[in-house]
Amino acid sequence: MRIPENRLALPLAALFAVCFVAPLLVLLALSLQAGSEAQGLSLSRISFAHYRDFFADGFNDRILAQTLLLGFKVTAVCLLFGFPVAWIAARARGGWQSTLVLLIVLPILTSVVVRTFSWIVILGRHGIVNQLLQWLGLTGDPVNLLFTETGVVIVLAQVQMPLMVLPIMTVLSKLDPNLLDASRALGAGPWRTLRQVVVPLAAPGILAGCILTYAASVTAFVTQTLIGGARLVYMPLRIYQEAMGANNWPYAAAISIVFMIAVLAVIAIAGKIGNLTRSRAHA
Amino acid sequence: MKLNHSRRSMLFAALGLGTTAILPGRLLAQGRSLVAATFPGTWSEAHRAILAPAFKQRTGATVTQSILLAQDQVARLTAAKGGKPPFDVAIFDEPQVPDAIKAGVLAPYPAAQSPNYADLLPGFQDQWGPTISMQVIGIGYNPRRIKTPPTSWDELWDPKYKGRVGLTALNSQLGIAFLAELNRLRGGGPGNFDPAFKAIRELMPNVGAVAADLGAFATLWQQEQIDIAPYNFNFVQTLKSKGVPVELAIPATGAAGWKTSMHVVAGAVEPDLAVQYVDTHLDPAVQAAMLKSPYDVIPTNRKVALEGPVTQAIARTQEELGKIRGFDWPAINPQRSDLIARFNRDIQQT
Repeated sequence: MRIPENRLALPLAALFAVCFVAPLLVLLALSLQAGSEAQGLSLSRISFAHYRDFFADGFNDRILAQTLLLGFKVTAVCLLFGFPVAWIAARARGGWQSTLVLLIVLPILTSVVVRTFSWIVILGRHGIVNQLLQWLGLTGDPVNLLFTETGVVIVLAQVQMPLMVLPIMTVLSKLDPNLLDASRALGAGPWRTLRQVVVPLAAPGILAGCILTYAASVTAFVTQTLIGGARLVYMPLRIYQEAMGANNWPYAAAISIVFMIAVLAVIAIAGKIGNLTRSRAHA
Repeated sequence: MKLNHSRRSMLFAALGLGTTAILPGRLLAQGRSLVAATFPGTWSEAHRAILAPAFKQRTGATVTQSILLAQDQVARLTAAKGGKPPFDVAIFDEPQVPDAIKAGVLAPYPAAQSPNYADLLPGFQDQWGPTISMQVIGIGYNPRRIKTPPTSWDELWDPKYKGRVGLTALNSQLGIAFLAELNRLRGGGPGNFDPAFKAIRELMPNVGAVAADLGAFATLWQQEQIDIAPYNFNFVQTLKSKGVPVELAIPATGAAGWKTSMHVVAGAVEPDLAVQYVDTHLDPAVQAAMLKSPYDVIPTNRKVALEGPVTQAIARTQEELGKIRGFDWPAINPQRSDLIARFNRDIQQT
């Protein structure tokens, strides 16, 4: 007896419906309730007031923009540093490759809280970076790295790096080395080969890496709040403040929905751009 | 031998049956179990080490801790309304009590069944549940870098502390209490927070870091990222016991704080045990044990003599404890959302 393939997906679909879609619908319904009462959803209280409040306040728009921008910055840094690492790891042989993969994966094996705390120790006023700068005589007073956006970008880039490197490494290791030789034989320099051969072929991996890094860094509540502090408000902290500090769940739900749609939109646009470049490469 | 043994157990069983008739409440509790909420950190340790054994000795019942922040407790009780509540005893800081009452998740406290209740000062008695302790805010400072203990909140604005002052965001109880106290001192009231926000804006040049929550705030002290900041008595005691250089000074304008209270949950599975549990927390012996380091839980039973760090910083007698200034939470709570948003805006890095 043959089971139709799509039926194999039924258990997962059921799990998704119960554990993901249903809570999301509750969140959506809650966000449409007027007032700050979290209990008893009712049709008579339906209103878009929380969404209106959110967008009416220019400060919230700025937080949303800053959060989306933070994701771009982290993704760019991860791509810049991650691509060469992925390239080296994909080209490495046998034992070296396993060692490199282990080093790349190592950060994911520790809790994000632990990793972030160690960064506090590194970047703090009495941290390694400041001690080194002072010892070298480059600065008298400690430099503030914690609680700056630069600090947040540095730490998020390190914390999310494996999400960028692993997908790129996978596509690069499947790259036929003959293509590089062919490109060279046809007179292309290394940069041209990179631009016109390697990057287009690695595009699916780069795209996957960018999407994963982006989604993980815009929603990284722990790292954003511990390194950024409360003076750099990003969307996850904003949601936490409304839910836990103000006990205003419907408003927190509305902010969550706005944030989710914004991130999905960015990812959808990235996917479109990725598809365009790929079809151009194949053309 | 074997026969003997079983005969002996029979005897004990019979004896047991006999005493059941005399002391029904006590023996019925045998094998019964209560689920009680507690706060993370020192609170849960004090409850496990002191309250749970005392409760077991008194009732024979065991207690399972459910470690949750106050807001989470309100949320879970609200979610379970109408069904079986996830725990029988709730523990709240003062601001959550009006929310919980409004949500209808608390049962009135049966003071008649609670022998220790009468020993509380009137201010610590409440129809929804007694005050079990207090939390007091003051000026936290690093004694290695600040040799003279601060005597006034105004010192935070002293230019010599440029970049060395810490704050917490208003989603924490500490943050909102400091804002309210500052507002009162600068001539504002619950209806007008302008004076406090004006003072905060003037403070910003001195502020080195604003922690997003109390966990991150503790890290600021541990890493000596800040030297002076508003802080809680119990958080200071906890950090001190871990070797972090931090002390608490109460400003000359007086101590301000809030009550911590315990409550029997509406529809509790074990309502009688829940009352016994709360009453055990009011017991003078239990409160005296919790007053000792490293717990430093401020007592509310007037039979407990104050001693230790509490007397140095906060109050020498129960009467003085009763005079600690509170906050108008029913007026502040509905404004939290707006205050948080306004604070976020005012502290933005420019």
